[in-house]
Parts: sequence; structure tokens; C-alpha cells
Amino acid sequence: MATEQQTKTGDGEEQQPLGLTVASAAVAAAVVIPLLWLVKTALDVGFVEALELVTRPTTVEVLLNSTVLVVLVTTACIALGVPLAYITVRTDLPFKRFWTIVIALPLVIPSYIGAFAFVSAFGPRGVFQRLLAPFGVESLPEIYGLPGAVLVLTLYTYPYVFITTRAALKSMDTTLIDAARTLNHTRWEAFKRVTIPQIRPAVAAGGLLAALYALSDFGTPAIMKFDAFTRVIYVEFGSFGRDTATLLSLQLVAVTLLILTLESQIRGEERTTTGGRSGNVMELGRWKYPAIGFAALVAAVALVVPLGILLTWFAQGVAETSQSLAFQPEYAFNSVLVAAATAGAATVAGLPVAYLAARHPSRMSSVFERATYVGYAVPGVVLGLALVFFGSSYATPIYQTLYLLVFAYVIRFLPQAVGSLRASFLRVDPALPEAARTLGETPSGAFRHVTLPLVAPGLFGGAALVFLTTMKELPATLLLRPAGFKTLVTHIWTAYAAGYFGQAAVPALILLFVSGLSMLVIITQEGYDVK
Amino acid sequence: MEDYDREPRGHGRRRFIAAAAAVGLGSLAGCTGLGGEDETETDSTGDESVSQIGSGRSPFGDRDITGGVSISEMPDLSGELTLYSGRGEALVGELITFFEEYYDDFTVRPRYNSATELVNQILTEGENSPADVFFSVNAGSLGALKDEGRTQDLPTDVLDLVRDEFHDPDGQWTGTSGRARTVPFNTDQFADSDIPDDIMAFPETEAFRDNIGWAPTYSSFQAFITAMRVLEGDDATKEWLQGMQDLGVTEYNDEFLVSQAVADGEVGAGFANHYYIQRILAGRTDAPLGTAFTSGDAGSIFNVAGALVLDTADDADLGANFVRHLLSAEAQDYFARTTFEYPLVSGVDPIGELPSIDELNPPEGLDLTQLSDLEGTVRLLREVGVL
Repeated sequence: MATEQQTKTGDGEEQQPLGLTVASAAVAAAVVIPLLWLVKTALDVGFVEALELVTRPTTVEVLLNSTVLVVLVTTACIALGVPLAYITVRTDLPFKRFWTIVIALPLVIPSYIGAFAFVSAFGPRGVFQRLLAPFGVESLPEIYGLPGAVLVLTLYTYPYVFITTRAALKSMDTTLIDAARTLNHTRWEAFKRVTIPQIRPAVAAGGLLAALYALSDFGTPAIMKFDAFTRVIYVEFGSFGRDTATLLSLQLVAVTLLILTLESQIRGEERTTTGGRSGNVMELGRWKYPAIGFAALVAAVALVVPLGILLTWFAQGVAETSQSLAFQPEYAFNSVLVAAATAGAATVAGLPVAYLAARHPSRMSSVFERATYVGYAVPGVVLGLALVFFGSSYATPIYQTLYLLVFAYVIRFLPQAVGSLRASFLRVDPALPEAARTLGETPSGAFRHVTLPLVAPGLFGGAALVFLTTMKELPATLLLRPAGFKTLVTHIWTAYAAGYFGQAAVPALILLFVSGLSMLVIITQEGYDVK
Repeated sequence: MEDYDREPRGHGRRRFIAAAAAVGLGSLAGCTGLGGEDETETDSTGDESVSQIGSGRSPFGDRDITGGVSISEMPDLSGELTLYSGRGEALVGELITFFEEYYDDFTVRPRYNSATELVNQILTEGENSPADVFFSVNAGSLGALKDEGRTQDLPTDVLDLVRDEFHDPDGQWTGTSGRARTVPFNTDQFADSDIPDDIMAFPETEAFRDNIGWAPTYSSFQAFITAMRVLEGDDATKEWLQGMQDLGVTEYNDEFLVSQAVADGEVGAGFANHYYIQRILAGRTDAPLGTAFTSGDAGSIFNVAGALVLDTADDADLGANFVRHLLSAEAQDYFARTTFEYPLVSGVDPIGELPSIDELNPPEGLDLTQLSDLEGTVRLLREVGVL
């Protein structure tokens, strides 16, 4: 929470933006109300049983395990995401656009596919062990447990930090760096004293998304046999302990709120600066090849391992299979349709919340902003069931239609748009829209013609995050999709669940291709960036 | 595996090849089986997979089906049916397409997910549930819906298609195919006679020390432990679990992996459903893998996949007739061929090196719905430190 009043706008009506406040409140309420089902269901658990459940040693232990997991994953994501963002924005790295897309793509790989592929490849008797067997390698070190869970989660969540940081670097005013350089700062000092403070809100936003993802992910800890909190919830759900599972999910929400508060505390003072002019490209020189190598290595490990494993199976088992597994182009169309609708809806809903939180910081505006994160931290099944309840009870006409499905996605992924947008608004100097006002623009005109172009990279960055994660969403999709509605990911799941792993390779490749193409479109739009 | 249950679970290309072989072997058009005349239509569309239903082909050789009731003798299906299926589309999608193509005026609106999640969904939807029929991989999920009062009576003539022990005694659901609990063993290490006949003797069997595998997170394993609790009591079950842990049991993610580890000699024996062994043998006929059965105890329970009509069904007759079709000779043969399950209708035999259903010795007096109490089992497994 930025406590300091950072803007001193002369205009009285901008101090009390009633319309904006109402819009933000409406968005926050819309995404939080369905979650009340959690409270309702958890209340069905008796108080004594509930207390016993949340304080028993296993619960405490797995909570600690989850904490360690979250801290390590977040740190690793920042360590990977920030340098990757820097070299793709601020340097003369060749084929920047290509690398940007490739580095962002691991976000669309469903974590169970990623984790499963890593176990198959690097397990004690996996593909690599078999390749190395002729050299006398009997068994590889264990990948299971914490190391494997951290590795896989990092590889599939670092794009959060990458994309948000990239947007910040893109819209940052580089004349400041030039100024620092003329003041005899080395490049590193200039980075530390100028760039870091400017990109910090964006890095924090990305880090927060990665942290909450790591906290609520089911698949990776399950496959890596790591006892995270979600595994306990999973076991309860599997045994029809719907109430207990929901109660435990509420506990997860409590942890989320704690993380959100902590992040607000350490976020500290956030500066507003003039945005816009980006020139200053660092010449990599002899670092060019190491930089390419770094980008290529990360992308290769995250993308090539799962695809390689799936393709290996595909090659080994080309045979007639169930006709239900035949691929239809319609699946790709459906995926893009819902993902694009969600990205659009989440951006529109995120705008007032992010703008209010950045421009008019107050306890209320930050409560609205933080509220949008709650749905993101609730495991997908739980959120899905909450909407099953609301949909079937109060919104029967749209139950099991695309409208409710997209609404579910928006609840799940809204903070990805909000976080990215808020970080962008913080970098816009309020003096600029004010200048436009003095030149006769209406408030909304100033917003559209001055502020919006300045935050475009953040806006498209947020939309890209929502788009990519919606492409891979599974649990809520399975619960809420219209009958017979199939997407790339449900198709991958159908093949995977039945053990036809090879058949999962084709839709997985198409998923990457379609996502990559869509990313290209999004990045081209970013050219709207002010020069 | 993100946050849904997969059943039947299976990893590895061998399983893939086995399943592919089961579906894909032979494409001789016009091979007659039951209902052959009605299938000429689908044959002409070149839809080979669907046309194979009722043809009796399998990786263990072709066969003729003579028993059971053909769909041609069943009431027609017409109208629209919303099916919540806990059985995967890859396994049952073809069968459903077959029914849709067989009748002019019949469509299914399917919703595929894991069985437990569909139960959670139906309970959450309450009386607004659009579901007509629920098709489940286990009796536990069927029992859970019955316990919540979300089912309705199936007609007696549908229930009578299977033996009494394979449908709900109150007539709320019926099994459609079955699976036996077995002990897969490595034939290089053990002879069939080395495997104890009594499941409770396993912890004291020194030959299994650090040489046996299980999959405690797998739902069929949990159903087996539930059966043990019902038959032997909680204390004895706890002791058994403790004993197995002291013996040094290796944990696997699911029972296909257990069976595969036994075939590879990684462990000498394990606990698994019968069909996992058959799936491995279908892909590797020379694998040193045998099937042993215990007798009259929790280790020999016979669980079923089944179906029920929901209390919210728009057209209960259509729902019941759909369930009836799942018990047709064609569907029964389809289950045997594609999933290596036990058909439940007499006259359609299981496929592979398996004893007939009459030679099995499942425990007496065990009601399959009792197996739905996985919650207590999970608690016990956790207490002992297995989960």
C-alpha cells in the first residue's frame, strides 16, 4: 500500500473520482462475491472439527513446506525474469521479438504436463538415464521433492516477472539513465540507482503473481511428490470431503491475504516519473552470444523438454487410436476465442481498479485492488465449484455457457491485468495529463490521448498474461464449459488422462504455435508505444 | 493430474501401445458380430472404430459374442440426454457415438471430468442440476450420490441384467463393468503358490521384504483399504498398514506403475487392479508378469464401474434405457476389449489370461456402497503416516 499521497492535482473533482470508485467497487464485488460460497460451505464443518483440522501437525507442516516453496520459486523467477526482460528490451540482442515470444511461451504449458515431462526425462530411470546407461550411469539423482517442484514451477511461472518487467522497461524514460551516465555513473550503478527503482513495482507485481501461482498450484507438487498445502486439499476432494477441502482452501486464502499484506508493506514508496522516451540501447558486444545462450537455454529447458517427451511417445506409438482423440481445428479456435474474450474483459475490468489504486491511493482503493487477487489464489477446482453454485442457483440461463466460463476466467486471472496496469500507471507523470487538461482536454480525453498511450505496454503485457494463462486453464473449464465444448487443453487432458500421451503431443504443439502467433499480434500492438 | 482424479490412471508408452492395439487392431469391414446388420451404415462412412463395436476383436485374438442381450432387442433411444461421465472420453466416447449413430433421433450432451469432481459438481448444483445420467468409474462415487438422495429407482429388468452383487441392493445404481483386486507378481521371482492366499498374511511374508509396491493415493487402493476396514475392523487395518510399512513397501503414483515395476523386476509383487496387468501383457506378451488372487478377503474385492439416473433427470425412462444400453452385449464386449474390464452380463467373457468371473472368490457380505467411505480411510492412512 502506497501510503503517501503522491499526486497533487489541482483539480478538486479528480480528488473524488466517484465514477471510478464505484466502478472499482463493482469489479471487486463481482469477483469476490462468488467466493462467499467458500465461507458458506466451510461453515458446514463443525467448529471443533474445523479447529482441529487447521491446527493439526500435518496442516502446519505442509503450510511450512508451501512457504519454503513459494519463497524459493519467487526468488528464482525474479532471478530469471528480470535479466531476460532487460536483454530483450534494453540491449541490441538480435531477433528480440522472436526471443520475447519464445521466453514468454512457457506460461502456456500446463504445469502437470511440464512436471510430468520432467519426471519422465530426468527421473531416476527416465529418458536421460536410458541415454546415459551405456556409459554406466545406473540412476540419476532424485528429481522428486522440493528441488523438482521449485525447478518446474520456476520454469513455468518466470514469464510473469518477465512480461511485467518488460512492460516497465519498455515504457521507462531512458533519459534518466543518460543523465546518470553523464554524472559518471557506471552502467551498473545507473541500473541500480535509476532503473531498479523504476521497475520495482512491476517486478513486485510479477513476483506476486508467481508467488500466488506457486501457492495454489495442484499439479506440480502432486507429481513431484512434494507435500505442499494443495496436496492436502486434493486428498480431501478425492474422498468427497467437499466441506473440509473448502475449509482448507479458505486457509489458503488467509495465507494469500498475508502475502498480499506483506507485499504491500515491502513495496514501500512508489515513485511516479515521467514516462515515455526510450532510446538508450545497450550494446552487448562480446556479451551477445552469452546473452543469446542464456535466453536459448531457458526457453529450451522449459519448452523442448516437455515437447521432446511428448513427441518421443508420438513417434513410438503411431497407431490407430480412439476416434475421440482425432484433432479438430475447432479446438484451437475455441481456445483463442475464450482466451481473447477473457483478456479483453479482464483488461476493461482491471482499468478502473488499477487506475484508482495508482492515482488515488487510499485504504479503500487498495482494498479494491487487493480484493482482485483473492480469486487468483483459490485453487481452480474450488473457484469452479463456487461458480457452479452461483451459476446453477442464481444464473441458470448462463450456467454452462461461455459467458459464465469467461467470467470464471476473469475472476481467476484479473490480478494479472491489474498488477501490470497498476505498475504502468505509477510510471506516468501526473503532470502530463494535467498539461493536456490545461490545453482544453476533458478528463476522459486526457486519459485517452495521454495516459493510455503511455501505459500501452503495461496494458498489452497484462492482456498477454491473461491470454496465455486462460489458454491453459483446465479445472474450471472442465466444470463450467458448455456440453461438448472442447479446447486445446481439454483435448490434451482427454488424451493424457486416458494414457494416450503421444496424442497429447499434437494439440500441445498447436497450443504453443497458436499462443506464439497471438503473442506476436499482441507485441505488434505494443508498437503503439510512444517514441 | 492438476486437480482432478484420473481413472483409469496410466503412464507410459506401453500402456499407450496396448490401448492403441486394443482399439486399432484389424479393420476388416463388415465382420459380423451382434447387431452386424445395423452397422453396415456406419461401415459405409468408413468409420472403422465405431463399426468394430460388437465385432469381438482383441489383442488376444478375435472372438464371437453369443451371450447377452443385443441392443437390437432393447427399447429405442430418442431425445436428448445430458450425461455426466467420470469415464474418459477416450474410453467411452466411441461407444456413445455408436449409440448416437445407431438411432436417428438420439443425442448425448456429454460432460467429461473425473468422477469425484462430477459428484462434487452435482451436489453443488443441487436441484438445478442439468444432469440426467451419471456414469462412474467406481461404486464409491455412485454410493456417494445415493447417500445424498440424488438418485432414483432403476427398472427391475435393467437391474436383472447383472448378478445381484453387482447392483445396488436398493436398485439405485447398477454396475456396468468390473475390476478385480489382484496381486501382480514377477514370475522370475515367484510361483503363483508363493503368493499368500490371505491378504492379512502379507506383512509377515519375508519374501516381500523391500520387494513389494503399492499406490496409496490411488482411489482403487483406498477402496481396498476401506474394504479391509469393513471386514477386519480399523485396528487390524492399521496394524496391517503399519506392518507393510515395516516390511519396506515402495510407493508408486498409480497402479499401472506398480504393475510395470513388477514386470521390470523392480519389485517382486504389488497391489493392483487386474486390468493393469492385462494392459502390460497386451503390449509385452513375454513380460514375466503373473496375476495372483487372494481369497474371500479385502484383497479379492470386485469393484464396479457403473451408472445411475439422477433425481433431476428430465426423462427418467430415457435415462434408464441408456443405462440398459450400457449393459447390451455390444457395450459389454466393448468394455472387455478396450479397457480389459470384466463384463458383468453373463455370456460375455473377459479378455486375456483371466479366470472367469465365477472362479473369483470375492468376500461375501460386502456391500460395494460401503466402499464409498474413503474419508475415514484417508484419515486412517494419514494417521499411520502412509499419506
